[in-house]
Amino acid sequence: MSSSSRSFEPEPMVRGGSAALGKNVTVKGQIFAREDLTIDGEVEGTVECHEHRLTIGPNARVQAGLKAREIIIHGSIQGNVDATDKIDLKKEAKLVGDIKTSRIVIEDGAYFKGSIDISKSSAAKPPAAPPQPVQAAPQPSAAPAASPAAAPTR
Amino acid sequence: MRFGAGKGAPSKDAPPTLTRHSSGFDQFCSMLQSAEGLSILDMSGASQANISFVTGFGHRISSDDIIGTMQQQFGQDWFESQQAASTAHRFLEQTLTFPDASFDGALVWDALQFLTSPLLEDTVAQLLRVMRPGALMLAFFNADEKATRIPIYNYRIQDAKTITQVPRGGYQHCQYFNHRTLEKLFERAASLKFFLTRDHLREVIVRR
Repeated sequence: MSSSSRSFEPEPMVRGGSAALGKNVTVKGQIFAREDLTIDGEVEGTVECHEHRLTIGPNARVQAGLKAREIIIHGSIQGNVDATDKIDLKKEAKLVGDIKTSRIVIEDGAYFKGSIDISKSSAAKPPAAPPQPVQAAPQPSAAPAASPAAAPTR
Repeated sequence: MRFGAGKGAPSKDAPPTLTRHSSGFDQFCSMLQSAEGLSILDMSGASQANISFVTGFGHRISSDDIIGTMQQQFGQDWFESQQAASTAHRFLEQTLTFPDASFDGALVWDALQFLTSPLLEDTVAQLLRVMRPGALMLAFFNADEKATRIPIYNYRIQDAKTITQVPRGGYQHCQYFNHRTLEKLFERAASLKFFLTRDHLREVIVRR
């Protein structure tokens, strides 16, 4: 275990099972998950968890295209990201690649380089998961946000 | 064009966050409101405010933090480093790496005023390359001849006429760009439109 690695508590399981790749795991190839998945290690290839949540932990180094219902990013990703419902870029996240999603939340401090396509058709789909409380984005420290759903700016 | 002297070390006294009316952005927004499915380049880095505003019109937005790349590449010797061919080459390799004619609009904000010749001209050429014919670019330039240092800001869209300038730490020596130097800088563009604000900012709408 690296002394510089960060502790990380995966998001609470919403429904069904949940799988995790730890920070000392390296995977090269294709990953298909039929349950929520948390990646905190190294992945090179593609990751697909249709209808489920994919969490990229703070220690993760991912060079892959990602597809999921919801993607929460704490770590580093190089690749295109496609979420039918929502993408959540946390403050320590680093993403170089193109995003396609219905909704996006970017926290203050997140690094993103690429394009964002907001897919309205996906937004119109009924949610696959039961309704959950809205996750409030942290309030901006310096500037007010442009929309009610807006998160802080860099 | 007048260049400030000395090194651009960040200052510890933080500038305030500013919210201001922008006639240039108002004009840029007219384009956003009049068409659908546009591709917009935002060079102030990714922010929720800008993404929500642009995608709210149904457009696609691309984020590229040009000031962040400058800070990485140029370091403390900001203007001097740009004169080194290797540094300038690395900067161009990491910035505006998009295919030709990718964008219908570019929000450059005030980034260009922190570049010096010849890298400034090379960057403008790259910008015009990635813009489609007829595309609009919004750029800001300091218009205070007496200013020697100006804060570095992130630009956040509040609404169609209002932007917020969020300080991102430090000041930088500034250059003064008048109408003539800007016309020369954008001589390959189809047209230029200037807005001079009360707070010494020259807002420029460039049509490719």
